[in-house]
Amino acid sequence: MLLAHSVILSSAATVPSTFAGVADALTVLVLLSEFAMLHAQLSRSQIRLYAFQSLVVTALAVYVAAERHIPGLYAIAGITLVLKVVVIPAIVLTLLRDARVELVASHRLGVATMVLIAIAVSVFGIFTAGSITVQSRSLPSGALGLAIAAVLVSFLLIVLRSDVVSQAVGFFSLENAVSLTSLVVAAGLPLIVEVAFFFDLLVAVVVFGVLMRVHHSHHDTLSTRQLDRLRG
Amino acid sequence: MAQGVVGQGVMLTPVEIQVLQDLTIVVLAPLVSGAIAHVEARWQGRRGPRILQPYYDLAKWFRKETLVPEDASWVFVVGPMVAFMCYLIVPLLIPVLTTYPLPLGYMGDILAGGFVLALGGFAVAAAAAETDAPYAQLGSSRAMTFGALIEPTILFITFVVALVTSTDLPYFEAAAARASVAQIVRPAHILAVVAFFLVVLNDTGRIPVETHAGTLELGMIDEARTLEHSGPLLALLTWGSAMKQLILYVLLVNVFAAPWGLASTRSAGAVGLAILALLGKALGVGVLFTVIDNSFSKLRLFKITEFMAAAFLLAVLAVLVLFVGGS
Repeated sequence: MLLAHSVILSSAATVPSTFAGVADALTVLVLLSEFAMLHAQLSRSQIRLYAFQSLVVTALAVYVAAERHIPGLYAIAGITLVLKVVVIPAIVLTLLRDARVELVASHRLGVATMVLIAIAVSVFGIFTAGSITVQSRSLPSGALGLAIAAVLVSFLLIVLRSDVVSQAVGFFSLENAVSLTSLVVAAGLPLIVEVAFFFDLLVAVVVFGVLMRVHHSHHDTLSTRQLDRLRG
Repeated sequence: MAQGVVGQGVMLTPVEIQVLQDLTIVVLAPLVSGAIAHVEARWQGRRGPRILQPYYDLAKWFRKETLVPEDASWVFVVGPMVAFMCYLIVPLLIPVLTTYPLPLGYMGDILAGGFVLALGGFAVAAAAAETDAPYAQLGSSRAMTFGALIEPTILFITFVVALVTSTDLPYFEAAAARASVAQIVRPAHILAVVAFFLVVLNDTGRIPVETHAGTLELGMIDEARTLEHSGPLLALLTWGSAMKQLILYVLLVNVFAAPWGLASTRSAGAVGLAILALLGKALGVGVLFTVIDNSFSKLRLFKITEFMAAAFLLAVLAVLVLFVGGS
């Protein structure tokens, strides 16, 4: 019994702080929603998952801002909330509604296989980041590995799904993961740089919107499988 | 029986508490099953069976004769008994009523508990495979296949317990979760809890994997294994699967999700309260499972691997975040 208690106490001593725990849990949620996008059958649910992921990023930014007293992050959280949770998903959903495509069979591999590949890629990302020592005043360093894993899985989403919506959502969520990484590495990043990121994102939305429209009007589908054939 | 009256009332000996642990599982398991079936029926707008119906069923089956298929050997008869024995052994290893380990609590760790549970599953499957009936054999082969597929998830959850507590004894995991809030919000813990929740969904034959009370043989996994048994053997199998369900619920709540409300002393009052708390928590989990049962549809058989992949993903992530961030 005495031994039991000493073991418990020693393990309790290595428990990270509540702040690190909550921040890491939110980061894991971002990564998990990335996996969910990889799995999602309906394009609509992919976009909703993107909105959810952005909401988690917003929550994380607010939490870090409150706990670490970085007021600039509130502004970023506000912009994220308006832009990435509401405006962008609304635009893409409208485009999707106009295209009248519900379901695109775009899994290049079986879902379980894709998830296993994505797990392998995340392991690579997490351990690569683990070998870098980053002292961050905003987030625990474990979050860096998870953010990089999310970046890699969003690449996989673009590679392994062959429809325009997946590729757009993959790109947008890539931006989410990158801004998460910037939260970890440099939360004090000047607001102006962050705002420049958002303008990049807006440009990307316009480009992907045009791509979706043009692709759909030319091929009558959102799948990109036919693009490897010449059309006369 | 009681050791003496000391201070706050009757104290029980550790051996008595150990026996009580087993009795709790044996006696309450049909009640929990019955309550779940009742609540599930209410959710679906039916009146449903009485809460005590499983006890009446068991009593009826024990009074009937045993029919054995012509070609079946002794395995058909022994299988259900071995399974029942296995489900009697597991409660000795896990924190059912107390926060402190009882004499036999260190007899085996989480892996040993898992192995004994798996041995029970194997005995049932072997008994089912003894018959010539196609559906019983189909059930036993499927149960073994999906059991093997969910195994990596269970292993990774064990790794999480080992990394968090430096042991793999269930009592320590529960104690670690009770120790601090930081321990509960850490992502590794949350992920492991959710992964184990999915494992329990799979192992109790609940909706995304299997219809619990269906009669459609083609979609059956666990349920199909008992189709050929009758009389006392069927009673043992049904009682055993109810016990397995309660054991898994106990593991879920008392080791991972909510290890509160356990007795920390040996007084009879505290142990009695712990029994009531256990019943309450098990019913809570059961109601949660009926909500899932009624809000999702069953996965196609070949889509079950996706469910397994999701559970595996959560368990692997739990280990990964422990390795990297120490969180």
